[in-house]
Amino acid sequence: MAAGEPDPRLEARARRAYELGRLRAALRLAPLVLAAAGAAIVCGRPLPMTCALAVALLLLSVGLAYAGGSAGRAVYPGLLAGAAPLAAPLLMATVGHACFGPACASLGLPACILGGSLAGVVIARTTARRDADLPFVLGALAVAALTGALGCTIAGAAGVLGMLAGVVVGGAPVLAAARR
Amino acid sequence: MRRLPAEREIAPGVEGGERAELRRLMVRLADGDRAAFRPAFALLWPRLRAFAARCVAAADAEDVAQAALLRVFSRASEYDAERDALAWALGIAAWECRTLRRTRQRRREDHVAPPDPPDPGENPEEMVIARDLSAAAEAVLGTLRPIDIETITAAAGSRKLRGATFRKRLSRALARLRIAWRARHGSR
Repeated sequence: MAAGEPDPRLEARARRAYELGRLRAALRLAPLVLAAAGAAIVCGRPLPMTCALAVALLLLSVGLAYAGGSAGRAVYPGLLAGAAPLAAPLLMATVGHACFGPACASLGLPACILGGSLAGVVIARTTARRDADLPFVLGALAVAALTGALGCTIAGAAGVLGMLAGVVVGGAPVLAAARR
Repeated sequence: MRRLPAEREIAPGVEGGERAELRRLMVRLADGDRAAFRPAFALLWPRLRAFAARCVAAADAEDVAQAALLRVFSRASEYDAERDALAWALGIAAWECRTLRRTRQRRREDHVAPPDPPDPGENPEEMVIARDLSAAAEAVLGTLRPIDIETITAAAGSRKLRGATFRKRLSRALARLRIAWRARHGSR
């Protein structure tokens, strides 16, 4: 190795430090995911299902943030957007709406659709403001969908599907108008 | 504003294009673009080594520069695009120098910083005064927080006026520098 030339071992160590630093930064999202899962459990969501969704959300969020790029930048907006469909049905159950059997669908399903619409608007506005690309939209949608599912499973599969429909119905017009 | 001794040695090689390039590379690294790693490494390593050589004894310079380099890359994902990348990296290196000095002080093995290279244009008396001032300034600077060091080196490296937030931060950093100077050297 010539004098003044960087040592390849030092470069390898620096690269490892960079990757570990990125992982450490990505793991800072974990408390947000755990808080969302905790809120769902406290509001009565079944433990196994909530844990499964939370693990999937944690892996997705940390993985995207660690990888970086457009999809990595979408994690925080996705979590923020997903807070609406997470909170709406859980609040409804908490304030006393009976949520078992068919009675759950009477308000739980509309709450999921409304929360999903709000999430769609948040994602669309963020995408338009940042002039973001498709990986950003897909990343934000995936994170928001999993976050929202933590709450919307209260209305079963219909609740989750309703939330997704709400995201599309709420977000598409806003995004189309912004891109025009 | 007069440049700090270490910055004076390093800045000329990093003016203009290279400084802006380093900033662009750090922004890409913060965003997760691994392709920016190698060029960023190639730009940073000689600057950090030169800075460390000016801050600590030659025997420790390589270790300090390596520690600073690893820390810079470890914190690359936290890099704020609004900041000057070189000043940010040198702030981290200054912190490493300070850590080493403190460790040495604790072990009572503290050593004097290496002298500035002689300038044939100056007379011996001026050289001695300049060398003493440089050593004293580096020692006092080393007691400040990294954010203050970074602010002062950033201000020393650029003549153009910056935003109000930066000026406020600089004013606070200089106030703390003055206090640290007085604490160490009285009102001289």
